[in-house]
Amino acid sequence: MSSTPSGGGSNGPAAVELRGITKRFPGVVANHDIDITVAPGTVHAIVGENGAGKSTLMKTLYGMHKPDEGTIHVKGREVRFNSPSDAIKNGIGMVHQHFMLADNLTVLENVVLGAERRHGIGNKAREQIRALSGQYGLGVEPDRLMEDLGVGDRQRVEILKVLYRGAETIILDEPTAVLVPQEVDELFDNLRELKREGLTVIFISHKLDEVLSVADEITVIRRGTTVATADPRTTTARELATLMVGGELPVPELRESTVTDHVVLSLDGVTVTSADGRNVVDDVSVDIRKGEIVGIAGVEGNGQSELIEAIMGMRRVSSGHIRLEGDDVTSWTTLRIREAGVGYIPEDRHRHGVLLESPLWENRVLGHQTREPSVRGPWINKAGARQDSERIVAEYDVRTPNIDVIADALSGGNQQKFIIGREMSGRPRFLVAAHPTRGVDVGAQSAIWEQLREARAEGLAVLLISADLDELIGMSDTLHVILRGRLVAEADPTDVTPEQLGSAMTGAGLAGDRQSDSGASDGTDGEENEGGA
Amino acid sequence: MSKLPRPDMTMSGPVAAAIAVVLGAGVTAGLDLALLWWAALIIAVVVAFGFVAWTAPLISMKRGAGSGGAKEEGTALHKTLVMPTALILAVVSGLLSAWLLDLQLQEWAAALIGGAIGAALAFLLFHRLSTMLALSFAAVFAAGILAIGVTAAVLYFSGITPLDTFDRMLEYGTRPNSMVQIINDGITYYLAAVAVAIGFKMKLFNIGVDGQYRLAALLSAAVGGYLILPPVISQFVVIVTAVAVGGVWAGIAGYLKVARGVSEVISTIMLNSIATGITAYLLTEGRLAVEISTNNIGTPPIPESGWVPGIPATFLGSEREIFGLLFLAVAVGIGYWVMLNRTRFGFELRATGQSKTAAEASGVDVKKMVFLSMLFSGMVAGLVGLPQLLGSSHYYALDFPTGIGFIGIAIALLGRNHPVGIVFASLFWAFLNQAAGILPFDGIPQEIAVIAQATIVLTVVVVYEVVHRWGRRYQQQQIGKQLGRTTETTPEPAAVSHGPEHGSDEGDDSVPGRSKEDGTDDKSGGEAQ
Repeated sequence: MSSTPSGGGSNGPAAVELRGITKRFPGVVANHDIDITVAPGTVHAIVGENGAGKSTLMKTLYGMHKPDEGTIHVKGREVRFNSPSDAIKNGIGMVHQHFMLADNLTVLENVVLGAERRHGIGNKAREQIRALSGQYGLGVEPDRLMEDLGVGDRQRVEILKVLYRGAETIILDEPTAVLVPQEVDELFDNLRELKREGLTVIFISHKLDEVLSVADEITVIRRGTTVATADPRTTTARELATLMVGGELPVPELRESTVTDHVVLSLDGVTVTSADGRNVVDDVSVDIRKGEIVGIAGVEGNGQSELIEAIMGMRRVSSGHIRLEGDDVTSWTTLRIREAGVGYIPEDRHRHGVLLESPLWENRVLGHQTREPSVRGPWINKAGARQDSERIVAEYDVRTPNIDVIADALSGGNQQKFIIGREMSGRPRFLVAAHPTRGVDVGAQSAIWEQLREARAEGLAVLLISADLDELIGMSDTLHVILRGRLVAEADPTDVTPEQLGSAMTGAGLAGDRQSDSGASDGTDGEENEGGA
Repeated sequence: MSKLPRPDMTMSGPVAAAIAVVLGAGVTAGLDLALLWWAALIIAVVVAFGFVAWTAPLISMKRGAGSGGAKEEGTALHKTLVMPTALILAVVSGLLSAWLLDLQLQEWAAALIGGAIGAALAFLLFHRLSTMLALSFAAVFAAGILAIGVTAAVLYFSGITPLDTFDRMLEYGTRPNSMVQIINDGITYYLAAVAVAIGFKMKLFNIGVDGQYRLAALLSAAVGGYLILPPVISQFVVIVTAVAVGGVWAGIAGYLKVARGVSEVISTIMLNSIATGITAYLLTEGRLAVEISTNNIGTPPIPESGWVPGIPATFLGSEREIFGLLFLAVAVGIGYWVMLNRTRFGFELRATGQSKTAAEASGVDVKKMVFLSMLFSGMVAGLVGLPQLLGSSHYYALDFPTGIGFIGIAIALLGRNHPVGIVFASLFWAFLNQAAGILPFDGIPQEIAVIAQATIVLTVVVVYEVVHRWGRRYQQQQIGKQLGRTTETTPEPAAVSHGPEHGSDEGDDSVPGRSKEDGTDDKSGGEAQ
């Protein structure tokens, strides 16, 4: 470990220096002319919108791929990484956004996995872990089973893994994506501790207020290149945002309510049981009306995906009923539900939303292969599908040379726009939107929001599931919180704050919020403290 | 492009095509007087091709873009790959057609028509051959060269002169009787390969085609032999029986997969063994079989009213007949293509094969698809034995051809599961089998054919994958250049994305990246300096 006193200065050579980094992929230049200097013993944040090229840059720094141009210097020496092991040898460790931990192993086993040579796998390793945990205030116990640990603890184990392998520079990729506000504060305390011990932290994020509170220096990336370096002491979030986006910030607005009384989808005590007997969706009851967007907030993994699959007929409902304008659709097949006018914007568009190796016009048929205009009887109506694809491309501003392009060649945002265009065609009466703007650039995001709002004004009923609290607050007419499969709170989107939502999402309850009368699950009062995650 | 001066006008497509064809025919006829017919033809097609290339900018062709969607003509790849491939294909087709026609017509007439055909194809291919298709042909061609090279090496190191062997094989294989045999074998292989391909499209491996077709042939032969029915009905019943048996046999594997998750690879192989056992059990005297001749027992021969007449092959110069069920094979091929590309069922099949999760989310009943796919595969497999049964042997005996199911797998791989590709693959395979038959008479081991077959399957699969992937990446790059984008950007004014109107329609030789003139400003303009 480095023995420099509490960091925060440019004493000595830069911990990491990237000069002129350029990386190209087929169809897109992900990074070009990146110049970043990270001073040792500091927390250096790299901010940029989704799709700006941050993750690609970090993969380059971590040795997962080689840059096409440019150099990397670690502690003043130029290095070339052929694989992550080279990066690790140079003291660079990465904590990924999606943890790589084995639930059935203990903390000790997870940490030593792949690094058995360092301190063995027995007591010596255990002592080392305890020592590191104490030194950096991580509070990690080596013999606990991973599946018993919550998200915040898991992240600390990931940090420990990296320290165990001798990292002096730690890269954190969107560490707060899976954390609620309270856990974020704990994480930042950990980071400050790491900094005090002389380590360097590189922190990637697109959440500006968090970054401003913990970083010593901020580099802004936009469209693949570094556009500015900012000092958090003298910059505001708004300035940063402008640098990131280069223009007007889209803000989900609230406006006149278009909610009617006519219930389109009614969930009544819906329960879904998983294979191991747990109720992943537990007695959920909520009504979604014509002209209403019902948002459900929750940390990932609390039953949202299963709920959506149950609604779409992709998962069996163990008890309870789902009614679509009076029809009991609980046991209907996915096809029948779709034909009844339900659109579905899936969470994972590559797995559920498009056929990556088919042309765009064939993807228009996907999900609509029993209805006009894609189909006439048992035959595919190629002309009809093509014509409608052109319409979608024009109306939803899908950037593509033409509709014969393979879906894979489009960027994620454009794929998503096409999916939304497809699902909105045929005037659905109900739309399930799961993370509709995930991985979509800012401009496309505001376009999608606008489309949803217009559709809502025309009477569409929407169930919106998202991890983006701003999106939820801005778009929803009614906002619920889901925790461990139950709807535990209802919030008023016009005055709830992200912090309040965050605390409800971990079970601490919404402070001072009104009680809901429809939809909240029985017995759980929004103000009750559920005792934490 | 060409530096020759061009008339400043536009020409319509058909007119240019017509001129090319006339050019091709005329030059062939003219040069034929001075040169060998094939040399004349080659030169003629090249000239026609040159003409087509020269007039290309004048012609407005719709849909000049290939399946990849990127604007193709004028790109570097088009020049270095697609055009030569198109030229070679046009020349080869011209030569082949002339050679075939030569069997019936006089040499000069055949050459003339061959030249015309070659020129017409030159026009068609130049404008319509997409990069991906050209890559496919190039891949197969490259693989073929590799395979021939390996086979030649094997021959050489065994002390046999490769060129003589190839010469002999070519000579023997192109004799009229051989050609009939090749076509007949090809029909059988084609059916087997389509059966396998149906499964492959769903990422299912129907290894059981072999058991399915043998069981189907046995049972349908028994039905035909024991149940004496009036003429057309008898054939019909036999065919339906075969289809049903094949379908049921494969359906068992399909059901097991859907209901219990049993891998179809294992279940179909096991069902093959069971089929062998059943066939052996039934094919004894006293059960389904009677004595056909000494040392051979089989099902009672189907009476002549139940046969399918053959097609006389005198046009090829042979006295033998081509299986009448050629038409069935053609129908199956067309049906396969139509089903796959034009029907909703085919769409769902391909979607499930590409991404089970996406298909499921879009309402496809994946389990139903798996089962139906295996069922249809088995139904087509049932047909495999019929050309032989109804056209030639008329009974199922101990000497009924075996192993065709596995050949079908190889041919499906070779033909890339494409209805037309499988045609060529079947004929090629049959040709190798047939042509190698002469070799033992010269002291050359017949297994050369097997070596060639095995090598080409391997090389085609590998080379095709490699080339295809590279081609896809290249196309993505082209598309990226055309859009002039770096990473996700805020949308520029709508002008950029109106690719459908601008991008691929005109045949004029514009360069990719010309979309920049549509209003993309330099901020989003492509690559790093």
